[in-house]
Amino acid sequence: MGFLKSWIFMLKNIISSREMIWQLFKRDFISGYKQSLFGIFWLLISPLVGIISWVFMNSAGILSPGDVGVPYPVYVLLGSTFWGLFMSFYSSTANSLSSGSSLILQVNFSHEALVAQQIAQTVANFIINLLVLIIVLLIFGILPSWKAIFFPLTLIPIFFIGTGIGMVVSVISVVVHDINKMVSMGLGFLMFLTPVIYAPKLQNVILQGVIKWNPMTYLIGSARDIIIYGRIENQGSYFYSCLLAAIIFMFSWRLFFLSENKVAEKL
Amino acid sequence: MSNDTVVKVENLSKKFCRNLRRSMFYGSVDVIKSMLGMNIETNTLRKDEFWAVDNVSFELKRRKSIGLIGVNGSGKSTLLRLLNGIYQPDKGRIELRGRIGALISVGAGFHPLMTGRENIYLNGAILGMSKTEIDKKFDEIVDFAEIGEFLDAPVKTYSSGMYVRLGFAIAVQAEPDILLVDEVLAVGDANFQKKCFDRILDIRKNGTSIIFVSHSVSAVERLCTECILMKHGKQIFWGNTRECVQRYFHEINQDNLLRASGPQTFGIGDVVFSNVYVYQENGDRADPNIEFGKNIIIEFDYKFFMKESNKNQVRVTIRTFEGRDVQKFLFQESSFIDDVIYPNEKIIPLKREGNARIKIVNPKLFPQTFRLDVGVAPLDKDVHLGGIANAAFFNIIHPTSEKMYLEYGNMTVTEFDYEVLSI
Repeated sequence: MGFLKSWIFMLKNIISSREMIWQLFKRDFISGYKQSLFGIFWLLISPLVGIISWVFMNSAGILSPGDVGVPYPVYVLLGSTFWGLFMSFYSSTANSLSSGSSLILQVNFSHEALVAQQIAQTVANFIINLLVLIIVLLIFGILPSWKAIFFPLTLIPIFFIGTGIGMVVSVISVVVHDINKMVSMGLGFLMFLTPVIYAPKLQNVILQGVIKWNPMTYLIGSARDIIIYGRIENQGSYFYSCLLAAIIFMFSWRLFFLSENKVAEKL
Repeated sequence: MSNDTVVKVENLSKKFCRNLRRSMFYGSVDVIKSMLGMNIETNTLRKDEFWAVDNVSFELKRRKSIGLIGVNGSGKSTLLRLLNGIYQPDKGRIELRGRIGALISVGAGFHPLMTGRENIYLNGAILGMSKTEIDKKFDEIVDFAEIGEFLDAPVKTYSSGMYVRLGFAIAVQAEPDILLVDEVLAVGDANFQKKCFDRILDIRKNGTSIIFVSHSVSAVERLCTECILMKHGKQIFWGNTRECVQRYFHEINQDNLLRASGPQTFGIGDVVFSNVYVYQENGDRADPNIEFGKNIIIEFDYKFFMKESNKNQVRVTIRTFEGRDVQKFLFQESSFIDDVIYPNEKIIPLKREGNARIKIVNPKLFPQTFRLDVGVAPLDKDVHLGGIANAAFFNIIHPTSEKMYLEYGNMTVTEFDYEVLSI
């Protein structure tokens, strides 16, 4: 099947299994919090706890993030929220085949539905995270420029690159379980090579070079900058990064299409 | 594919790997190859691989049913999963016409914390039903599952029977053109099994073609006109169900007799048994094949080499080929000791030497291979005077008339009576 056809085919599969996606989404989203004390509030609390450690290190002088132009907690919360979105796009997609393994061996359905459901899950969690963001912005009295309404668009390339890597890993991890751990570890380290908890302008020349060539710098940075400053810096690099993310996504989608059936039975 | 053919399978093969590590390795090679757009070599076996389904071809017409039978590991379930699209074939092709439904496993995707109601919608959606479709069938599902007031309780509070009933009730609502059924009927209590089976008969009546995997030969016979016998992944017979079932029993018995170890004497040798035979009443003594339902004669010679004997118990034990006791026939030599332990124990004086013939009346042993042990032990001492284990093997074979066979359902009855013809 040709490139274009395989994408259309998968899209059709997703659309025709929307009922199943919705039901699986409901199952995992609602029942996931049924047995917990704070329920959905965990989603609000966990990002706050995350930034406290960065803020603590910053105020203790261990971490010098450079001049970020806004209060550091706001900066770090925005950056880590978008980074977290990327990671969660990645990990939910990467786990989609193995977490759906019992279904795959019992029922014949389009396995793309599992990926779609995981993505929906990630998006839903992110929307709740946004509430935290808004509250923090209000507390620090930061009013984003009107251009911030375009920020959802900046999430698309983050989605592309996260699920793109995830889909490839999900197929490989069926046969080699280590790949998932390896890539997660690598991406965890990549965060420190991306201006998430510090400002993009650094003294260290080598690190500066890495940051410059790291597409995540632009993908995460632009989503944050459009909210804080109402503009996107390095528009050329941002454009190429987006292009790269889209290409990765298209290729991995195609690879997923070609391979997942051959490996699904090995779950 | 001719007009009324709904399933056509041609030279279908599927290989599996025995070794998990190697299977992972082959898997990674295949993934990398397919990602690079290279062809995966599927025709040859690599080390540790074997054909789980080997070159199977058959056709199923509209409104017909095919049974798949064979011993465990013969590839029946793999074949069903290939047909369902869960596995991809390595060789050959499958053509299907119409919507396909599967009763391969029930309750797929059930979440234990969600209520029965929620799980009906969840499972229905997984099986490809739309919400309106489920809405329409909802009452029927609840009714069939007999879960009553548990409908709004989380399914983790359900008994395993309720769980399975609910799963089955949803699965049979899908109204497919082709229905694949795998042994799911073997769960739940006898009543529910019957209900499920009746439901499947109804579905067949409505024009659905069925492919049915089961170990219950009587169920296959009721449901299917045609049958495929599988052995080591190969299809060794395809045709008329009765012929196929006979072939199946023949295969099993043949296998069992080949695997059987010979007779072994045990005990101190004070009593010696010889010439042990099991055969059909009015039949040839040397023929170990006994038709289902016919009276069985057990015959043996015995000889006491001890001076005194009046406190002994003779035990004749029928076991399945695997060794499970089916029935013991016992008789005591004299009434000297009055505690009769076994309900079917009889008190019959033995001679010093003689030929014993025992008739089992109306036995309900289901077709398979059985073996017989004979032995003598004194009631007051823990010792065997003599005996032979595996003294004789016999096969219960499929009856030529089906009627009686079907009446018994699928229950092997182990309580049956015997007469001692001579001793």
